[in-house]
Amino acid sequence: MEALRCLPGVGPKSASRMAFHLVERDRVGAERLAHALLAAAEGVRHCRRCRNLSEAELCSVCADPARDASLLCVVETPADVLAIEQATGFRGQYFVLMGRLSPLDGIGPSELGLDRLEARLDEGQVRELILATNPTVEGEATAHYLAMLARERGIRSTRIAHGVPMGGELEYIDGGTLAHAFSGRREV
Amino acid sequence: MRVELEAAYVLHARAYRETSLLLEAFSLQHGRVGLVARGVRGARSRTRALLQPFQPVLLSWRGGGELATLSGVEAAGPALALQGERLLGGLYANELLLTLVARDDAQPALFAHYQALCAALAAGTPIEVALRVFERDLLDALGYRLLLAQAADGSPLQAALRYRYVADEGAHPASGVDDGVPVAGASLLALGRGELADAAARADAKRLLRAQLERLLNGRRLRTRELARALLGGARGEPATSSIPEGAHRR
Ligand SMILES: [Zn+2]
Repeated sequence: MEALRCLPGVGPKSASRMAFHLVERDRVGAERLAHALLAAAEGVRHCRRCRNLSEAELCSVCADPARDASLLCVVETPADVLAIEQATGFRGQYFVLMGRLSPLDGIGPSELGLDRLEARLDEGQVRELILATNPTVEGEATAHYLAMLARERGIRSTRIAHGVPMGGELEYIDGGTLAHAFSGRREV
Repeated sequence: MRVELEAAYVLHARAYRETSLLLEAFSLQHGRVGLVARGVRGARSRTRALLQPFQPVLLSWRGGGELATLSGVEAAGPALALQGERLLGGLYANELLLTLVARDDAQPALFAHYQALCAALAAGTPIEVALRVFERDLLDALGYRLLLAQAADGSPLQAALRYRYVADEGAHPASGVDDGVPVAGASLLALGRGELADAAARADAKRLLRAQLERLLNGRRLRTRELARALLGGARGEPATSSIPEGAHRR
């Protein structure tokens, strides 16, 4: 039970519920879970090219010759890659920052390893840098910094749009999001 | 202690535990306060957007000491959409406040100066001018007011004269002293008026203010300044951010 508590959102109660379920009703599932976790803990590393989590030296996106290497999408975390892969038809490649620039926390370009991204841009294949960092102050600062890196190299950079969530109602949306959506309006 | 609907800005927010944020806020009547905002990082939390820097808010909290608990937040106006260099300028001001202003020290005048800075950054005032005026006002609020109308001997500053500005004393005619920051009389007067129209005045003001702030920083590094320098230096081979201090970490 203690072991399950390391999962986010799992308190003592749900930990004991999960543990009893696995041990009493689903021994096979418990063993499969144990093997999968062991394999993941031992085998998962960071892709050499994009730094996403991967079991091989190159992740499946970087290893796929059909992906367009001229489109490079920069995200903060591996979870962001997964979200974009599942929700969009994006056919380019990624670079995972594993964080964001946060000067007030002491995280600058070198702490974030941005030299790796610069090296990637210097290879000359990238034509468009898509900045998909979060719409937070740190995410915006990071996007600005990356846009400058791209500009120096004559590479076009684009920022993903932020606005009203699909199915959302304007009156319930926070002011910042609404202001952003309003200033980002476009011709229809 | 209970504080209700206090005008404030969040200076910095950092993730804390699974769903909470640790906030450093700057408030009108209570100065800098540390707050924990519980349960605001959920996917559907509307509060989170209000707890970003540069969003004027009304904050309510309970408790005191090092860390009080946020009990409410309302928008007090539209968020300032600072972008690019203006955003970095705003973050620099936040870092100055976090580094130089002690917690729980009411600074209502400084709060007004900070508000004015945010407005200036959002309105398109030249960034350098907005930041220099804020630095001047910050020094004033911290008890290190610059003398920008009179020379050290009490005589009115002459625009056409060269001076050397000596900390804690003021401007001396340049011919009379060796120490201090060399600066034109016109630049001191311009900084006093908050109008740094020409490049020479801006350069003088920057050097003067930098020297005074450096004394207060006492060797502490400003990470936003290093980031700005890395940007200016083309971010390439620039040593500004290469030495990693203790406590720096990746997330
Ligand atoms: Zn990869």
